[in-house]
Amino acid sequence: MTGGWRALLRLLALQGTWNYERMLGVGMGYAAEPLLEDLKTVDPVRHGEAVVRSAEFFNCNPNLAGLALGATARAEYEAVPGAQIARLRTALCSPLGAMGDELFWAGLVPALAGLALAAVVLGAGWWAVLGLLVTYNLVRAGTAVWALHAGFDAGMRVGTAIGASWLPRAVTRIGPVAGASVGLAVPLMAAWYLRGFGWIGAIGALAVAAVGASVSRWFGPSMTSVRFALLAMGLLLFFRWVGL
Amino acid sequence: MSVLALHTIALLLVWGTVVALDLVSVPQAMLSRPLVAGTVAGWLVGDVEAGLRIGAVLELFALDVLPIGAVRYPDYGPATVAAVALGAGAPWELGLGLSVGMALLLAVLGGWSLQVVRRWNAHAIQHRAAALAAGESGAIRRLQYAGLLRDAARGALLSTLGLFGAWALGHWAVPDRETAVGLTLVAIGGGLSAVAGGAVRSAGRGARLRWLVAGAVAGTVLAVLR
Repeated sequence: MTGGWRALLRLLALQGTWNYERMLGVGMGYAAEPLLEDLKTVDPVRHGEAVVRSAEFFNCNPNLAGLALGATARAEYEAVPGAQIARLRTALCSPLGAMGDELFWAGLVPALAGLALAAVVLGAGWWAVLGLLVTYNLVRAGTAVWALHAGFDAGMRVGTAIGASWLPRAVTRIGPVAGASVGLAVPLMAAWYLRGFGWIGAIGALAVAAVGASVSRWFGPSMTSVRFALLAMGLLLFFRWVGL
Repeated sequence: MSVLALHTIALLLVWGTVVALDLVSVPQAMLSRPLVAGTVAGWLVGDVEAGLRIGAVLELFALDVLPIGAVRYPDYGPATVAAVALGAGAPWELGLGLSVGMALLLAVLGGWSLQVVRRWNAHAIQHRAAALAAGESGAIRRLQYAGLLRDAARGALLSTLGLFGAWALGHWAVPDRETAVGLTLVAIGGGLSAVAGGAVRSAGRGARLRWLVAGAVAGTVLAVLR
């Protein structure tokens, strides 16, 4: 695979042209360009068609996009019919989106953020923040390198390769870690912030938290936590303004 | 808000732009997480404690959000940078509430600005549809660089607005002590409700919920022992 490192670097900007029509499509086309370069000399017509296909609609979690990118690039070199490659891209959108979102956004990020918050409370200061950054980016970089190579090695059989890889196991294991980590952070954060305010202040803040959680649950997306907090602050300012 | 030197304001603008780009466009390295954005902003203004305290509360709000695909979500990065600029130099018990309130408004505005940039990206793609259909690699590159530039401009604009808001609030809207403390308590309560609500929602009813409860028990024990 030539152009692999350039493709990996370009994958960092995969969502640079995110839009509601092609979603990650143009970003995928941008990342595919170095991988498809050799095809230009071997089969210029095929290269042109491959570039068109590479920038068509695509969407998945950006951290696993390398699997689709590598697989489709390999398929282009193997002269697989274009319609089949387009079907492969479409078929990969949902599983790569679901697994990547579960692994990164709902798993690794809350797990590391929860641990970092707990570590800040326990006195680690900015080292906790550095730990969050380094750990996340090491995992992410390792995943990106693996994904691109695994996709390129497997080509059209990338689905089987994903099923046999570490990915499905990691997705099921990261959830409980994230749950425990956030669970650990919440009481520590509450104590860290509320210790200096006395009992009345602490009870007041916890009452706001309880009302906020209940209201968000009852009203769903129409009353997000941000809207609730802004509403509560607005009410407080109003009551202070009228002299209560 | 403490008086900031011009070069500090310039650095905050650059940092605000970087974290805005990091959220979606490049490099998604978690620089835009409020805890990270706030700590670095605190270091830039010479008050790491304020950066950590404000960043941590906003991180609680951010943990309620799954930044997935087409979902509309707040952009906490530049908002956190501006909030730290506002809260730095003051005792955190007094400065945190107003800073977080301003940050939440900016974050919502940032989320809306993301939608605008996405629509502009779609227009640009429609404009170059013929070149894309012809397989011109140059057109793909130009679209990509223009998209990144648009997002950078969005981040710079948002950061400028945030820093101006911080300056204006710091000069003209300093609340009395009781109101400031009240706002801080509401901000903390709101953050705790956000993280708890989000954690319970994503835990469902399986193993994750059991581990969430186990973690909360361990955290409570640690908090009592400290």
